[in-house]
Amino acid sequence: MSTLSRDDRLFARSRALQRQQTKVSYLFLLPALLFFFAFVIFPMGMGIYTSFFNYTMGSFDFIGFGNYAELMRDATFGRSVVNTLIIVVASVPLVGVFSLWVATLIYKMPVFSRSFYRGVFYLPVVMGSVPVVVVWKWVFNKYYGILNWLLKGLGVINTSINWLGDARYAIWCVLAILFTTSIGQPIVLYVASLGNVDHSQIEASEVDGASKWQTFLHVKWPSLLPTTLYVLVITTINSFQCFALIQLLTRGGPNGSTSTVMYYLYDTAFKLYRYGYANAMGVILAILIALFSALQFRIMRTDD
Amino acid sequence: MKKLVSLILAAIMLLSVSGIAAAEAPLSAEITWWAFPTFGQKDGAPAGTYEQTLVEKFQQKYPGITVKLETIDFQSGPEKLTAAIEGGKAPDVLFDAPGRIVEYGKNGRLVALDDMFTDEFKADVGNEALLNACSDGTTYWMYPISSSPFFMAINKEAFEKADALQYVNLEGDRTWTTENFVKALEALHAAGLLGGSVYCGGQGGDQGTRALVSNLYGAKIANEEKNQYTIASEQGKQALTLIKELVDKGLLEAGTDIVAGDEIKLFAQEVLTMSFCWGTSAAKNNPTSFTQVFLPFPSDDGVPELEYLVNGFCVFDNGDENRAKAAKLFIDFLCNSEEVGKDNVLATGAFPVRQSYGNLYEGNADYELLAAFTAYYAPYYNTMDGFANMRVQWWTMLQAVLTGAKDVDTALADYTAESNKVF
Repeated sequence: MSTLSRDDRLFARSRALQRQQTKVSYLFLLPALLFFFAFVIFPMGMGIYTSFFNYTMGSFDFIGFGNYAELMRDATFGRSVVNTLIIVVASVPLVGVFSLWVATLIYKMPVFSRSFYRGVFYLPVVMGSVPVVVVWKWVFNKYYGILNWLLKGLGVINTSINWLGDARYAIWCVLAILFTTSIGQPIVLYVASLGNVDHSQIEASEVDGASKWQTFLHVKWPSLLPTTLYVLVITTINSFQCFALIQLLTRGGPNGSTSTVMYYLYDTAFKLYRYGYANAMGVILAILIALFSALQFRIMRTDD
Repeated sequence: MKKLVSLILAAIMLLSVSGIAAAEAPLSAEITWWAFPTFGQKDGAPAGTYEQTLVEKFQQKYPGITVKLETIDFQSGPEKLTAAIEGGKAPDVLFDAPGRIVEYGKNGRLVALDDMFTDEFKADVGNEALLNACSDGTTYWMYPISSSPFFMAINKEAFEKADALQYVNLEGDRTWTTENFVKALEALHAAGLLGGSVYCGGQGGDQGTRALVSNLYGAKIANEEKNQYTIASEQGKQALTLIKELVDKGLLEAGTDIVAGDEIKLFAQEVLTMSFCWGTSAAKNNPTSFTQVFLPFPSDDGVPELEYLVNGFCVFDNGDENRAKAAKLFIDFLCNSEEVGKDNVLATGAFPVRQSYGNLYEGNADYELLAAFTAYYAPYYNTMDGFANMRVQWWTMLQAVLTGAKDVDTALADYTAESNKVF
C-alpha cells in the first residue's frame, strides 16, 4: 500500500507529464538548435578564437591580443568605425520616424491603396541590393546620371558632380540608398501594429476631447513601443552591417570616406587574406552592436 | 649462384613489367575546373559554353576522368576562390593569371608543376621573363598558355575631329611621347571632348593606371631585385604631378568612382575618347562604332614599358595524388594537344607562349602591331611579395592625389611605407 497521499501522487504525475512535455519540446527544437549551433554559435566561437591568431592563407600563429592592438593603431579601421557610427546615427532615427509617419498616413486608407503603398515602399527590399544599387549608380552617374541632368536643368548646378567619387557627397549618397532599402519592413510592421491598437480606446480618448497628437502619444504610442523597439534594433544591426551597398557602389572610397567596419573586414579577409585580423574587427563590431542594442532596450524599456 | 642471379633478374623484370602496367593503367578520377571568363565565347554564347566543349573532348579521350566545370566571374570569383580554399573545397584546376596563382603557391595551396616545365617546353617558350612569371623563383605554379600586352586605345574619329590625331604616331610600333600625349589632350579639351579617365574607384584593371604613371617619365613600379616597390621616385612624382595638373585643368578625368570595367564601357560608349585599360579581350568584348587605334603608353623618351597578361592554369593540392595527376593531364590536353591547343590560344585572343605554334593571326594588322608591342614588355612584378596589398594601396593613393586629400609627396610616401611593409 502506498504511503503517498492523493495530492502527492497527483503532483508526481504532473511532474512526470511536465518532464515528458519538456523532452518533446526539446526534441522538436533539436533540428533548429543543431542548425543554430552549426551555423551561428560555432562560427561565432571560431571567429573569436581565430581573432587571437595571425591567421592568413599561409600561417596560423597565436599572437594573443596582437590583432586588437594593431586595430587600435589602424587609421583606416578608425575611419571605418566613425563612418559606421555616422551611418547608424543618421539612418536609424530617420528610418524610425519616417516609417512611423508613412504608416500613420496609410493605415487608415482603403485596402487597395494601403496595399499599393506598402508594395511601393517594400519593393526595394524585395528586389535585393544588386538591382537597387545598379539603378542608383545610374542615377548618380557623373556623365549620364539623371540627378545631374535634373539639377542642371533646374539651374541648381552648372557642372556635373561626381557624386560617388567626391568625399563630400559619397557617404550621403550611400545613406540615401540605405534609407530607401531600410524603410520597407518598418512601414509594413507599423501598419500592422497600428491596425492592432484597440479602437475603443481611441474613440474613448476622442470623446474625452483629446487632440490627435494626445491620442497618438497616450493611446497609440504605448501600443507601438514593442514594434518600435524591434524596428530600431533591426535597423541598427542592418546599418552596422552595411556592406553590399558600399561594395557595389564606392568600395569604401574616395579616401576611405565610405569605408565601414563590415567593408574593411571583407577587404582585409578576402583581398589581403588576413583572416585573424578581419575576425578581430568582427568581434569589435559585434561588441558595438551589442552595446547599441542594449542601450536601445534600456531606453525603450516598458514597465510591463 | 646462377639460379639466384636468374631469380633476381626475373623478379626485376616482373617488377618492371608491373610498373609499366601501373603507369599505363587508365587514370580514374573526378576533378573540378574553375574558369574565369578568359576564353571568348563564339556567337555570343553564354559563359562556359566553349569550356564545356573542351571538357567533352577531354572526357572522350580520357573516359576514366570526369571534369566538372564551374565558371566564375572577375567580380565575385576571387572571393569565391578564397572561401573555397579556406573551406577545403578548392577546385582541382583553375584558369587564371600569375598574380593570384603564385600567391596561392607561395602559401602552400598548390601542386608544383615543375615536372610540366620540360626542357622542350622551356626551349619552345624561349622567354625567360614569361617563364619567371609562372614561378615564385623556386617552383613553377602556373602552366602558361598565352600572353598579350596591355595597352591603351583611342577613338580615331574623335581625335580627327579635335585635330589631335597629328600628335599620335600611327606608323611602325606607334610609340609616342608624353609631350604629344599632353598636346593631344589639350586639343581634345579645346574641342569639348573628354580625354581619358584615371580610374581609381577600386583595384579592377589597375595595371592600366600603373602603366600610365610609370611610363610618363620612366618610373619603375618595383626594383630589379623585386624586393621594393619604387614608384616614389622622382620620375614617379613627376608623373603624378602631371596627372594631377591635367585633372585640375579638366584634360583628364578623376575617375575616383569607377574601375577599369566602367572606363572601358565609357570609352566604348564614346563618353571618353581614350582608354588606359585596353587589351585584346576588351577589344573583343566591346565592339565599337568608331575606329579603335591601339597605342602603347606615352613615355618621355618614346620607349614604353608595357605590362602584360599571362593566361595559365594551376592545380590545387587537395590531398589526392590521383586527382592532381588527372588535373595535370587535363592542363596538358588544354595547352599542348593537337586537338585543342591552338584553338584555345585563339579563344583567349592572345599570343601563344609556345613559339612552335607560329603566327596564329596571319594577316591581322592589329595583332601584327601587338606582336611588335611585345618587344616593350616590362619586368613582371605581379608575383612579388605583398602584391595584393600593393594593389590596395595603389588605387587609394591615386584617390588621395586626385581628390587633393594628400599632396603627391605625402601620398607616395604613405603608399611606399604600406606597400613595402612586407619586406
